[in-house]
Amino acid sequence: MPNSNQVSSLGATSATGVQATTVQNLTAAGIASNFREIIKDQKGLDEAANYLYQTLLDDAVAGIFIETHHLRKTGNLSALDGVGEDNASAYRIVETPNLDIFGISTTKKAIDCTCPNCDRLVAAARFAPHLEKCMGMGRISHRIASRRLATKEGSSAASSYLQSGGATGGTDDEDDVDWSSDKRKKKTTQNSRNNGSKKNNGKTF
Amino acid sequence: MSLSKCIDQYTILTGDRSKIKDIMVNRLIECGWRDEVRLVCRDVLLQRGSSKSIPIEQLIPEVTARARTLVPDAVKKELLMKIRSILSQENAEDKADGDGDGDGESDD
Repeated sequence: MPNSNQVSSLGATSATGVQATTVQNLTAAGIASNFREIIKDQKGLDEAANYLYQTLLDDAVAGIFIETHHLRKTGNLSALDGVGEDNASAYRIVETPNLDIFGISTTKKAIDCTCPNCDRLVAAARFAPHLEKCMGMGRISHRIASRRLATKEGSSAASSYLQSGGATGGTDDEDDVDWSSDKRKKKTTQNSRNNGSKKNNGKTF
Repeated sequence: MSLSKCIDQYTILTGDRSKIKDIMVNRLIECGWRDEVRLVCRDVLLQRGSSKSIPIEQLIPEVTARARTLVPDAVKKELLMKIRSILSQENAEDKADGDGDGDGESDD
C-alpha cells in the first residue's frame, strides 16, 4: 500500500453522493483502489459506464467531424461524391480505337500555310526551311546566291580563283555538294575547301 | 468530477479504455452510424458556407447532440453492458488478486 495518503476533498458533489473519496497520489495502486471504491455499488457502476460511453462517443463524433472538415478543406469532399450520371455525358471516357480519350482524332491534320513570297501551299513542318530558301535570307541560300552572282559577273576571273585552289571542280558541282551535304557536314569544311585561298570566298563586296 | 477523473485514470491505466473504444468504434461502423454522422457533418458544414466556418469547435457540440440520438438503441444497450462487464471484471480480478497475495500489490 502506498505510504503517502493525501486526503484532498475535490468538491465531492457528484450526483450519486459518493462521499469524499480519498484521492491519493497518482500511484497505480492508488488509482486502482479509488476505482474500486466507485465500482462497489451498482449505482456507481452504472454512472461509470454511462460516463465512459458518453466520453468515447464524443471522441468518435469529434473524430468524424474533423475528418469531414479536412476533406472539405482539401476539396476532396466533392470528389467522394463523384460525377453525376446525367451531366457526365460531356466528360465520358471515349474508348474507340482511333480516338484518344477525349474523342479527338489521333491522325495528324495536314495544316498547310501559304507562303507569302511564292504563294504556294506548304506543309507547316516544312514552312521555315521553305521560307529560308524562298526568300533567300538563310545562311545557305544566301551564300549560294552570292556565289552564283560572283561567278556570273566576273566569270573567268572569279572562277579561275575558285578553281585554282579547290580540287572539287566546277562551281556547279560545288553547288550540288552544298545542297545535298549541307545537312551532314559543318559549314567550316565547306569554307575550307578552297585549300586556304580565302579571297573572294563566295562573298561579293 | 473526481469520479470521471478516477474512471479515466483507471481505464487508461489498465488499457481498458482503448479496448472499449475499439469495440465501440467497430460496432458503430457496422450499424452504419458512422456514415450517418458523416452525412450530418457534411450537411452542417455545407450549410455554414465556406468562408465563415471558423468557429469549428462550436459546431462540434451541435453535431454531437444529433449524433447521440442517431445511435441505435440496441447498439447502445449492448455497449453499455459490455462496458459494465469489463469494469466489473477488472474489479473482480483485482479483488481476487488482492485477497490472494497480501503484499504483492506494490506496483511502484
